[in-house]
Amino acid sequence: MLEVFTLFLFNIIVYNIPLLYGTTGEIMIEKSGSLNLGVEGTMAIGAVAGYLVGVKADNLFVAVLVSFIASGLVGLLFSFLTVTLQANQNVTGLTITTFGVAFYYFIGNALANSEGGWPRMNGTKLAEQSQALEIPGLSKIPFIGEALFSHGILVYLGVIIAILMWLYFNKTVPGLKLRAIGENPGAADSLGVNVTFYKYAHIIAGSGIMGIGGLYMGLNMGGTFEGSNCWINGYGWISIALVIFANWSPAKALLGTLVFGFFNTLRVQNAALAYAFPNALGWLTKIPSHFFSALPFIITLIVLIASSLSSKKKSGEPQAIGRNYYREDR
Amino acid sequence: MRKYHLVRRADSKIGRTIIFYAVGILVSLLIGAVILMALGINPFDYYGKMFTIGLVGNRYGYKSIEGFLKIFVPLLITSLALGLSFKMRFWNIGGEGEFLIGAITASVIAFNSSGIPNFVTVLLMCLAAMISSGIIGIAIAALKVKFNTNETLMTLMINYIMLYVIRYIGETKADWNFFLREDSERPKFGTFPDSAVMTGIPLGQFKLLWSVIIAIVLTVIVYIYLKYTKQGYEISVVGDSSATAKYAGMSVGKIVLRTMFISSAMIGLAAALTVSASGTISDTVTNNVGWTGIIVAWLSKLSVPAIFVTSILISILQYGCQAAATQYPAIDSNYADLLQGLILFSVLVADFAANFKIVKKEDAKNA
Repeated sequence: MLEVFTLFLFNIIVYNIPLLYGTTGEIMIEKSGSLNLGVEGTMAIGAVAGYLVGVKADNLFVAVLVSFIASGLVGLLFSFLTVTLQANQNVTGLTITTFGVAFYYFIGNALANSEGGWPRMNGTKLAEQSQALEIPGLSKIPFIGEALFSHGILVYLGVIIAILMWLYFNKTVPGLKLRAIGENPGAADSLGVNVTFYKYAHIIAGSGIMGIGGLYMGLNMGGTFEGSNCWINGYGWISIALVIFANWSPAKALLGTLVFGFFNTLRVQNAALAYAFPNALGWLTKIPSHFFSALPFIITLIVLIASSLSSKKKSGEPQAIGRNYYREDR
Repeated sequence: MRKYHLVRRADSKIGRTIIFYAVGILVSLLIGAVILMALGINPFDYYGKMFTIGLVGNRYGYKSIEGFLKIFVPLLITSLALGLSFKMRFWNIGGEGEFLIGAITASVIAFNSSGIPNFVTVLLMCLAAMISSGIIGIAIAALKVKFNTNETLMTLMINYIMLYVIRYIGETKADWNFFLREDSERPKFGTFPDSAVMTGIPLGQFKLLWSVIIAIVLTVIVYIYLKYTKQGYEISVVGDSSATAKYAGMSVGKIVLRTMFISSAMIGLAAALTVSASGTISDTVTNNVGWTGIIVAWLSKLSVPAIFVTSILISILQYGCQAAATQYPAIDSNYADLLQGLILFSVLVADFAANFKIVKKEDAKNA
């Protein structure tokens, strides 16, 4: 009985941590007043670049660094086009997704068809380094210890990034300035904040964080490339939804990841649960898996509508989101 | 103090824009050529194959044209539709979802149409698809107008909800599910009865489908609508400034609702024409037109004639990539998406260069 629950909890975390990376990365970008719809593509590029170099170097640290840099470069492209060249954010972001996912498939298929084939990670040091680390003491807590404290290092890194980001936004001066830009760039500019620099820095950093999430997805799939299925598999889009659900707070993103992850895991494990508890949970098998897949988007749609209906304007949505800042228009 | 800064050019010459755009596209094709060479492929051969969409030296050349048109028709209509809403600065990025709604509604009629005359069935399919997609458009527009709900994110969610709806229909064997083949053990979408399959004018072996003619007529109508009618003028005023529109006595809410209905309904129409022309439905029926249409509309700066030309170019790119794949197995259709992305990025740079100039601080003060 308990094993089923422990496994369930374990799977929520193992399969959904990429959502946390995608969401915290996107929150960082949106807090600077930019809406980047290119999460899916940014994650795909970070994943494929980080993985390929990581396998070659046979080192997890290198893989993480490269995925951060590769996705950061995508962020640089987005910043250059939207901040400096004033291009439309929606169009640029969507094109980054098209481009990034195509890049992933293109590189993957080219390598898979080449002589050496797609590089595998079985038996490499990279695989060894991404294996679960049992945190001494904590992982021995009955029932939840194994589910929460015996994961690969990137799981902990994702949680640490979320916590640090929350501290950064709420307890530091640059974080305050960043939020000011997201609310009203003109006002921040007149107070002497370098809007362009802040936007560039945070878009690049946020994109880089997404890239690590993409790499995690690839490693989690054992690094196997399938010509028809992208590693990212829509998680980038769910991350965009999760930003809204988390009300633009990295702390709530942690919670939101667990909630969305819960439904995601229910989709995968409904049969196992129904089998373990035929009386209480037998009905689970009657619900089509597609419903669980669509649920994050349905919930987000409801949250979007509900929050715009409510008279209390406590939304964390940056007021200037999606609009480019052109100084001369001020 | 920074020495240089950006100034929007006071004049926008169409000639300059076209030259800058052409350079942008050329640069992206050059980058594409470098990628091809990295894979050991002669870019001239490949581009030659791609841009002639497999017509040259092909006895069945008409098939290439038909394949090209199958991509072109939905892309053209969807891009026009998205262009309408973008002109109003209404970010309808729900093309995928609206297309799927239309495709499903049209298929409901198609699968139950045996015995009904072809013309009637196809007309009903188009009308039903337009109404169902249009209603979703109106609902989103109403939320935006009344409560200022973010339309970009709403339409984005609809895309994914609808994707799972169609996957559910396509993967669920059940008594109610008339979408699927009865003779297949595994769930598989059925084919429409002849009554629901698009007909056309035979020109030798080639068949010019009515959907192509409808798409071209529609382009002319949208052009006239935007350029010469009061409603078209209202759209551009709302797009420039909704405050101006309000002071001019226009009912902004009504204009937004009406335009979003037209925009989504057109996407529904594109879907009905597509399923009818292919005689079946699938979960990849959209062929990403909802996304590609955004790129096309933007590359065209929302101008109707430019959308027509750009749709042709992008369709050639996509179909050409498929056609060339028979000879270059290492290069799959993702290369088209890759090029598309590169083209958009470089055109964004070109657009900037055409509209802004960098001036020295002192000069700006004198100007």
